[in-house]
Amino acid sequence: MDKDMSILHRIIQSANIRQKVIASNIANADTPGYKAKEVSFGNILENKIKLLTTDSGHIKNQNQEGISAKITVTNDPSWGDRNNVLLNSEIAKMTENTLTYDAAVKLINSKMKMLKSAMSTR
Amino acid sequence: MDLFDVSASALEAQRMRMNTVASNMANAQSTRTESGGPYVKKDVSFSSVQINPGSSDGLTGVKVSAVVEDQKPPLVVYDPGHPDADENGNVSMPNINVMEEMVNMMMALRAYEANVKAFSMSKGMYQKALEIGRY
Repeated sequence: MDKDMSILHRIIQSANIRQKVIASNIANADTPGYKAKEVSFGNILENKIKLLTTDSGHIKNQNQEGISAKITVTNDPSWGDRNNVLLNSEIAKMTENTLTYDAAVKLINSKMKMLKSAMSTR
Repeated sequence: MDLFDVSASALEAQRMRMNTVASNMANAQSTRTESGGPYVKKDVSFSSVQINPGSSDGLTGVKVSAVVEDQKPPLVVYDPGHPDADENGNVSMPNINVMEEMVNMMMALRAYEANVKAFSMSKGMYQKALEIGRY
């Protein structure tokens, strides 16, 4: 669909990946030797569908932007059990992530509402 | 639904830890066991486990890799009237520090709560996603 939708789609995708990483960190808050993981995102251009054009008037292939997730292991100082997960900050990160996700869902919904009212007869 | 597997594995592991704490506290005075000798303090050892082996999605759960017995020697107390006292009147009591167990229990509880929180947040996210387009 349009640009807004693809941005929102990417926000939801990235929030989902981040949620997984944070959940893993919380689950392993007491595992000796576990190091907290972090995820960072970058843009990648992906070509999912190739559109064939035989005429200059045909719709051209558009590069769709996707996300690339990079999971890194943090190297922060750790306690005696060599575990460096900070439970409180992980919960805070998760709360923030959930709110981002909810906001994106809300925006998609209002976007769809707009499209629907544009399509309705009156 | 891998996200739930991560939190569920941690809940399971913390519950197991709570079980060992409960056993330790209940048997703080047990001088006789099936295997002979006083009760030996038990502890769990956690290890992280890949939810989807071979993939790089970062999903890491936790499992109890072993229930280990503490290597501390039993506490010897002088109590000649005790039925399990030896000829010198000494009794071998389990080397369990109830304070230590309480702290361990609190930590297990807090970790459990954190994972319940993570679980319900993930559930909320998926529920919100199901509401897309419904109003």
